Amino acid sequence: MAQALPPEPIAVGLENQEALGAGLSVAHATPAEAEALPLVRAESTRLVASLADAAAIDRDGAIPLALRQAVADAGLFGLTVPEEHGGAGFSLKAACAVVADLAAIERSTAIMIGLHSGLGVRPLVELGSAELQARMFPEIVSGARIASFAATEAEAGSDLTGIRTTGTVVGDQLRVDGEKVYVTNGGFAGCYTVLARTPGLGGQRAHSLVFVPRETPGVTIGPEEDKLGIRGSSTVTVTFEGAMVPQGMILGQAGRGIDQAHAALSWGRTLMAAGCVGTARAALHLALSHVTSRQQFGKPIGDFTASRAHVARMAARLYASETLVRWVGHALASGQPIDELSLGAKVLCSEASFEICDRALQLHGALGFIEPTGVARLTRDCRITRIFEGANDVLLVRGGAAVLGRKPAPAPARLSLPGPLEREAKAWDALRSRFTDATASVRAEHGVGVVRHQLVLQAVARANLALLAALGCLFRAQARPDELTLARHATEDLLFEAEQHLNDLARAVRDEARVHAVSDQLYAPLSRITKEDPS
Amino acid sequence: MSTSESPTRDRVIAMVAKILKLDASKINTSDRLREDLGMDSLASLELLSCISDELDVDIELDEAMELVTIDDACAFVDRVTAEQRGAGAAS
Ligand SMILES: Cc1cc2nc3c(=O)[nH]c(=O)nc-3n(C[C@H](O)[C@H](O)[C@H](O)COP(=O)(O)OP(=O)(O)OC[C@H]3O[C@@H](n4cnc5c(N)ncnc54)[C@H](O)[C@@H]3O)c2cc1C
Repeated sequence: MAQALPPEPIAVGLENQEALGAGLSVAHATPAEAEALPLVRAESTRLVASLADAAAIDRDGAIPLALRQAVADAGLFGLTVPEEHGGAGFSLKAACAVVADLAAIERSTAIMIGLHSGLGVRPLVELGSAELQARMFPEIVSGARIASFAATEAEAGSDLTGIRTTGTVVGDQLRVDGEKVYVTNGGFAGCYTVLARTPGLGGQRAHSLVFVPRETPGVTIGPEEDKLGIRGSSTVTVTFEGAMVPQGMILGQAGRGIDQAHAALSWGRTLMAAGCVGTARAALHLALSHVTSRQQFGKPIGDFTASRAHVARMAARLYASETLVRWVGHALASGQPIDELSLGAKVLCSEASFEICDRALQLHGALGFIEPTGVARLTRDCRITRIFEGANDVLLVRGGAAVLGRKPAPAPARLSLPGPLEREAKAWDALRSRFTDATASVRAEHGVGVVRHQLVLQAVARANLALLAALGCLFRAQARPDELTLARHATEDLLFEAEQHLNDLARAVRDEARVHAVSDQLYAPLSRITKEDPS
Repeated sequence: MSTSESPTRDRVIAMVAKILKLDASKINTSDRLREDLGMDSLASLELLSCISDELDVDIELDEAMELVTIDDACAFVDRVTAEQRGAGAAS
């Protein structure tokens, strides 16, 4: 029947709290990685810190060739390629640790590696034929063929089912025609994993992922986009005009492209969330050194309680972000589905990193607003993460539908955490009960019609996410008593948010009626928007 | 189970054709909403929500998530309609 539904995310891990706690407190998934990862992290950090001039990359809008070559020589393009193909064979969790480190130094470089390692390479790892893998991986690992992922089109962004690029069977070949926009790494990529409609391979609206090498006749690369942030990252339009590839370039089962793209996005979103962790670390670091050195009213500005509140909030958001990223990696390594967790990590980390940058900017005063401090650049760099790989507004709608679409679980076990976090655990448990009751009444009241109530879906997704992140923080601190103070603060913040989202949920239908009334008036003179009934 | 004789069939196919802007004659009841018709989870839920409204049947979200083909949706609607009628007659 339908795709297997993931388990109730809030119950994830309750059965084996110790293993989860340990999993959330380390950055690697296996003992072998525990040995290799520190070396790779140290070397890649040293290399990128010595070669990447973040301000120059931002100003020039490009990653210098020498930097790209150096990270290639260091093996960073093989991070997530299996060892049998010459890569490091790192788990998602370990790759995230590396990407976070790079992002703390220079975000465009981190995005180049992160996009390549996730969306770029994983479809080939998981779905490519042995022959295609054997042919492509040596060049991919060496960095001679950097990978990219081309799904978005001018008329198909959030709604990928609307894409028009086609892969048409011609003899034993596939002819690719269409135009993909905003292709990250596209300017220098050696291959494009293209989401195309392939009528005839599956149903009439079937989609497939097609691997297209750059040198294929009919492939044209457009100019670089001029962007607000991540200005060194390559973003181009790629046009396919009668580009012929063997049918063996279809990755995995033809006709399953949308699902395959969503699976690849789970890796992509997690690696992007890891990049947000890196940017947030850099912003917190800058803020800490500024508030402890800048004096006003005769004392360091960090002495003021209001400044301390900024700093504590930043650290709490960062702690929650790191925890969720590790949780996705831990879940994948334990064989659990990661679609919902990765979606949650993407949303929370992108919002948290922007908030952390904004607070760092505020604490810097005028120095935050001018470029040389670097806080402005960090803020610009992380703004896109709330949009790409799924706009958060849409992901929250999807996330809410996924939570509500799960068969209601039997009453879950009580969360029991004897020790210093017992009080927080009790508070979590009470809110989880409230959440369970609230979602049950939404299910009963709306049935499938809830899909038209976006504010309901978003409130459900946000409450679920805050509870999930709070649970992760509690477990992580169980294994790391030295993190107790921070974990407690992070959990308190998240529980407060979960409560607010449950309050939002209770009044979401009324809010919808109100926002419809206001926006109807604003749209009336302008548009041809079809009216949705919020009642 | 095939519902090709179902009175629901034509109305469901007409709705799918309208939503996907497809020629109704090209849609088979065995088409899968995701793999064959290229719908993602949100699009298929929107379709089932339209079906729920137009054919006046209650569809729970978790049941909706389990419907894979147009046939599944038709069979589901027929079953629920029959149950709702039965419940109406009994009351
Ligand atoms: C720098 C950069 C790099 C990128 N890299 C890649 C890449 O490598 N590969 C690739 O394929 N794509 C890439 N993208 C594209 C990116 O994934 C899309 O921009 C993103 O998915 C959103 O699509 P859109 O821009 O068309 O926005 P739209 O779909 O037009 O949405 C705009 C806004 O409308 C609202 N909205 C839309 N639909 C809904 C809905 N159903 N419910 C509620 N609100 C809604 C949201 O607020 C959303 O932010 C990149 C984009 C940028 C800017």
